[in-house]
Amino acid sequence: MSLPKRIIKETERLMADPVPGISAVPHEDNLRYFDVTIEGPSQSPYEKGIFQLELFLPDDYPMTPPKIRFLTKIYHPNIDRLGRICLDVLKSNWSPALQIRTILLSIQALLGAPNPDDPLANDVAQDWKKDEKGAIETARQWTQQYAK
Amino acid sequence: MEQSRAHSQPPPRVPAAQTPARRDTMFCHKCQDEWYRDEHGLTCPACGSDFTEIVEEDNDPRDVHIHDHSDDTESMPDLEEAPAHLNPFAHHNPWRDAGHDADDPEETDISQLRYQQVAPGRFTVTGTVYRTMSPSGAGRGNPNVGGFASMLNNIIGAQIGQMHTVPPQNDEAERQQSGSGTTPAGHRFHYQANARLFPRDANHAGPQIEPVDEMSNVLAGLMAAFGEPPGGPRAAQNHDPYAPPAHPLNPLLAMLTGFMPGGNAAAGDFVYSQEALDRVISQLMEQTSTSNAPGPAPQSDIDALPRKHVSMDMLGPEGRAECSICMDEVNIGEEVTELPCHHWFHHGCVAMWLAEHDTCPHCRQGISEHSENAGGTTAGGAATASHGAATATQNPQNANTGSRSMPGAFDVEGDGSLDHPFVVPSASPEQRRG
Repeated sequence: MSLPKRIIKETERLMADPVPGISAVPHEDNLRYFDVTIEGPSQSPYEKGIFQLELFLPDDYPMTPPKIRFLTKIYHPNIDRLGRICLDVLKSNWSPALQIRTILLSIQALLGAPNPDDPLANDVAQDWKKDEKGAIETARQWTQQYAK
Repeated sequence: MEQSRAHSQPPPRVPAAQTPARRDTMFCHKCQDEWYRDEHGLTCPACGSDFTEIVEEDNDPRDVHIHDHSDDTESMPDLEEAPAHLNPFAHHNPWRDAGHDADDPEETDISQLRYQQVAPGRFTVTGTVYRTMSPSGAGRGNPNVGGFASMLNNIIGAQIGQMHTVPPQNDEAERQQSGSGTTPAGHRFHYQANARLFPRDANHAGPQIEPVDEMSNVLAGLMAAFGEPPGGPRAAQNHDPYAPPAHPLNPLLAMLTGFMPGGNAAAGDFVYSQEALDRVISQLMEQTSTSNAPGPAPQSDIDALPRKHVSMDMLGPEGRAECSICMDEVNIGEEVTELPCHHWFHHGCVAMWLAEHDTCPHCRQGISEHSENAGGTTAGGAATASHGAATATQNPQNANTGSRSMPGAFDVEGDGSLDHPFVVPSASPEQRRG
């Protein structure tokens, strides 16, 4: 199956005009599969962390959202143990006008604004609500330990 | 079988020529358990059934069962073809091939199983059993309800056998085995594996400690086969010569799967490990990922969307524009389709999207009259780019919705920062807005 023009264009633009703090590089043997890195936003417990993600564009992209997942261990109420991300634009609020670039920006923003009221990792979210300071400290430690 | 026999039977004769300590052995027709009458009475201690019988030398109900069992196999082969890795004795019908395996030198022995009591609490069983499995038939079916009783019996027998028997035996030799035990239950005879047969040896007492990894591997395999006919993966497992030896928990697993309605429920309905649970959750998340999204727009509404030709004032500040769905550039004069919110796209692109979700890819406003997304109560209206007003004037038929455009505004829908928190950056240079 040939690669839709849109994917080629998106890839070209990501290369030509990368988003600061974000990189997405397609695999040579599968141009729908991207190695992604996102820098933790400053002023967040993820600051200075470099998080690896994988991103896959399904066959019916952009009619369906990209599949994306953290590979780096991260302590975040909306990201679970397996790196699955709870983000509306990756699910029911996906729109074909969104792009890899915008999705990755949304994820970066999610790191800066955890939402423990809409948790995916329930235990983390509970910790976050019970003891936000402690949870942030844990997130910081995990970032230092894993997100290098 | 004559159900009334157990209780209408006269008290057993005491054979004069027996060993002094002769005790009555009881046999349960339901679960085929055996016990001593003076220890547990007439009711089966294993299953509580009272369909029991006293074993007598000239009237051994166990023989009946043995032959019944064999008949069952003829008429209902599925019963014996329960997945062998779940139930190590499922294929353990020694009589199945007796008829056509004419070269079998031990054939006569097969029909001459001997059960002898040698002393109180001790007995000897002699017999040779061939386990012959037909690979083509393996796993063809699941144990159905009727077979469950016999399966359960096999399970229990297998467990007891493992717990009480016998040092590991050399299964290469085709020789008779004899053994003894201290309990009558489950010791009808010893199974002898045959080197010609299926390489896995269910006879050897496996490690009693459950190898957790292997267990979860097995389950993971079943999980992976979620949705496939249950026979498939189990049959595959059945042929795995490296399959773990039969151990006590496998029969338990067989029981669990056997309890499911019709035996058709996949093992994926249960999870036994964290990985399996994760897999199920992932699957559910995938399946429901877009379930909250608005449904499709009616095809008639999609077809009725106005077409227009791209004009100069629809292009962005750089004089360029593209369809944000396919990201192809659109040129002046090209025909595009405009939604009520005045966002426009290639017709094919937006029709494909609307056929799945009745929302504008940019502002999420719906196109259909009945769509909740089209509700006109929202003061803020749709997020519309700076050229919205211009396009509105070109489409008088949409003047009613045009009033909701806010020239120069990018704000999200007024009703929805909770539901639709995402602000589409509609003014970004890449996303030409007309």
